[in-house]
Amino acid sequence: MRIHSKQEQDVMILTPMEKNIDASIQDEFKAALVEAIDEGHKKIILDLSHVKFLDSSGLGVMVAMVKKLSGSGALAFCGIQEQVGQVFSLTRLDRVFNIYPNKNVALDALVAKGPATEGAV
Amino acid sequence: MEGELYVRLGYTMDALYRSITRHLAYSLGVVPTQASKRDIYLALSYSVRDRLLEKMLKTNQRYEDSGAKRLYYLSMEFLIGRSLANNLRAMKIYDQVAEALELLGTDVETICDQERDAALGNGGLGRLAACFLDSMASLDMPGFGYGLHYDYGLFEQDISNGYQREKPDSWISEAPALQVERADAACIVPMYGRIEETKDKWGRHNPLWLGWNLVTGVPYDIPIAGYGGLTVNRLRLFAARPSTEFDIKIFNEGDYLRAVEQKIESEKISKILYPKDSYEAGRELRLIQEYFLVACSLNDIVRTYEKDYSDYNKFPEKVAIQLNDTHPALAVAELMRILVDQKWVPWERAWDITNRTIAYTNHTLLPEALEKWPESLLARLLPRHLQFIYDINQQFLDRVVTLWPGDVDRMRNMSIVEEGPPRQVRMANLAIVGAHSVNGVSALHTDLIKKSLAPNFFEMWPERFNNKTNGITPRRWLCVANPNLHDLIEDAIGPGFVTDLERLRELEPFAEDPVFCEKFLQVKHGNKERLKDVIFNTTVVEVDPASLFDVQVKRIHEYKRQLMNVLGIIWEYLALTEDGVEPANPKTFIFAGKAAPGYWAAKQLIKLIHNVGNTIEDDPKARDFLKVAFAPNFRVTLAEQIIPAADISQQISTAGFEASGTGNMKFALNGALTIGTMDGANIEISQKVGRENIYICGLTAYEIEKMKRAGSYKPKAMYDKHPMIKRVVDSLASDRFCPRESGLFAWLKDYLLADNEMFFHLADLESYVKTRELSTKEYVDKTLWAKKAILNVARVGHFSSDRTIRQYADEIWDLVPIPPTEAEKSGKLKYTPSDPSSIATARAW
Repeated sequence: MRIHSKQEQDVMILTPMEKNIDASIQDEFKAALVEAIDEGHKKIILDLSHVKFLDSSGLGVMVAMVKKLSGSGALAFCGIQEQVGQVFSLTRLDRVFNIYPNKNVALDALVAKGPATEGAV
Repeated sequence: MEGELYVRLGYTMDALYRSITRHLAYSLGVVPTQASKRDIYLALSYSVRDRLLEKMLKTNQRYEDSGAKRLYYLSMEFLIGRSLANNLRAMKIYDQVAEALELLGTDVETICDQERDAALGNGGLGRLAACFLDSMASLDMPGFGYGLHYDYGLFEQDISNGYQREKPDSWISEAPALQVERADAACIVPMYGRIEETKDKWGRHNPLWLGWNLVTGVPYDIPIAGYGGLTVNRLRLFAARPSTEFDIKIFNEGDYLRAVEQKIESEKISKILYPKDSYEAGRELRLIQEYFLVACSLNDIVRTYEKDYSDYNKFPEKVAIQLNDTHPALAVAELMRILVDQKWVPWERAWDITNRTIAYTNHTLLPEALEKWPESLLARLLPRHLQFIYDINQQFLDRVVTLWPGDVDRMRNMSIVEEGPPRQVRMANLAIVGAHSVNGVSALHTDLIKKSLAPNFFEMWPERFNNKTNGITPRRWLCVANPNLHDLIEDAIGPGFVTDLERLRELEPFAEDPVFCEKFLQVKHGNKERLKDVIFNTTVVEVDPASLFDVQVKRIHEYKRQLMNVLGIIWEYLALTEDGVEPANPKTFIFAGKAAPGYWAAKQLIKLIHNVGNTIEDDPKARDFLKVAFAPNFRVTLAEQIIPAADISQQISTAGFEASGTGNMKFALNGALTIGTMDGANIEISQKVGRENIYICGLTAYEIEKMKRAGSYKPKAMYDKHPMIKRVVDSLASDRFCPRESGLFAWLKDYLLADNEMFFHLADLESYVKTRELSTKEYVDKTLWAKKAILNVARVGHFSSDRTIRQYADEIWDLVPIPPTEAEKSGKLKYTPSDPSSIATARAW
């Protein structure tokens, strides 16, 4: 799985370059996010602008990461495509995740604020 | 050409000829001189589809421009049958195509005969949906069908030694010539999973639906041409596809078969239409199908609405959803889920929107046909929807308690959730609670809904209940099925009645006109000659068109009482052979219909019909007077051949069981006289045509209900008292009709004589036989018969589905026609690239 990573200020921006985040790459996807957190990054933006399809296993990884960062950091989402947006809304995770229209807005939000305020998942 | 998005298609013979030959070459790769009939059929279908799509795009532009409210008709079944001939007549290009096909060395009837039926339905309910689509398009109403794109429609029926054998019906090979795949409008459908009760980032309760599987719904659009061809709506059918082509992980692990299995698992959702009465066989898959239809449809409906509106305040003013029976009742929970979970609409507001948008048509009073789903199954398949159902039920029961404090029985009866074990969700209750309108499909049926099926609901919401007596489209059931009768009527009263069927009243004076009567009988005879060939080709039974054609064609079911018809035949047969009583006129009893594959009693009836027919045929004393033919594989096309040839239409269901019936209307429109019970729409037909022009027999629904309550139906006493009844029943217990399969029908004696025999066969038998005798006697008087038959035709205009749809539109949907613009009528309307919105419209359709 290809994930582009870039740090801006104290925020790590991870951009999966895959069209599909599903069971076939679930393990690699999870490993990449865990690695970023274990490296000490507390503020992470997941830029999903290349992702056209997200299944429940890919979503499960995101939920696990939000939980992992809960109280100690923040995971924000941007670049949400139609199907991914539908998945967030049908699960009601759009009420839990911090979702921003694009990378810059997400970056401004995370830089401006301290640790995360996600809902409890 | 400059500025046009596409070239406007021609409707002249030349233009159609060019289209057909172009499709032969470029779509099929065939030289016209070497084209088979099948090739020509496909090329013609593609040529017609081109024109339908052109009109469909224009129709959609018209609807978009008007901002009109739209009606969405959700149905698990659309029994559309063949489309080509219907489309040619609707677009008024039948004669031009006939000429063009002559140039290709063939004729239009032969080519239209190449088409297979799209049998995406079981019977009345599915055919009603198809008639409604035709009427909505013919009335220029923005009304659209939503259904499932089954790979296999209703099974093909083969008869072997009198037994029904089922074969798969793969209509899919036919589909490409009819439809357009709309992969761009595909949607995702989640199912299964679990609920995690959490809080959102503002600390509010937030149930998460996690761990679901996704299936993709891919729409296919079938254009539905209104009469005149200017308004073309669509039927959108969804096929299930895997959300990803293969699970690559499994595939990469080398387990190719498991990867393929997963793909097949998703696709099986839309693989097969369940035969009625067989839902138990695949209970979970059937529920998945219903949910899949609902989820795909609502996704599409909401997406269409959101193109014009940013909030949901106007949803009920712009969208009406009609549920065709309880099958799509999950729409109530799904619309709530979409509004509350996905669109963040507050629960109370969402409930108001849902209730004002959805309407429900009940189609049955049969307890076994009123769907209930185990709570455990719903919890596993649709955990979030079940939560909504609980919430809806709680709010509803709170209201019931307020209105009727302490009435526990009432609450138990009205609750959406039936206490177990096992606990079950009552889909009819969900639909009644969730809809702003609940309608029956005939006056009697609606009355029974109010009094027997849902009296507590009627007491609570009397304004919610209403009747919409079913109807049939005269385009299909007169113009296409019986063109000679159509032409005869048009010669008599002039054109226009096809879209204004009440005008058939103008035919009444012709019932006294000997010349017209003669022509009318000639048309009937021609149709009987045609049916004679159909029967011979499929059964090798030779029937005589001079005999009275007494017809019962419909799904085989105990309540429809094909058995009573057979008892009547045996009665006449025994009277003839043992008492020497000849019928007033030779008679041919024609049956057709399918039995659900798992419905043993219905399949036995098919065998009985065949055996009784064979016994009579083998009996030299009887064969010149009586004949029985069972035409196999009943479907829309066969109905189009049988109905115009019928002299008598048998509509003899046990009163109180047939919601409406629509076969009764088709026969009457084609000049058959009805022998019927006071059931369903028979009652209204008798009121319209006059009691002197219909043969009514048997007990009424209320008499039967009274007898049931009192336990006063004692068939054994009738058997003991009435020697003719005894003789008929005893003949079944003997091997008279099954000499080579001893005891085959002995069960019928026990069945008929049991006090709990639900369908009151023997209670109605004598009245029925006497009524039949009267009808046969009157048939001999051709002048009298022609008069009665013509008056039937003249007086059944009320049963046009155009009337039914107008009532739905006025009284339930608040839907208005959006007629073609002058530019459309003149053929000058064009899409142009300079108007990007028109392209967007075309793409979004």
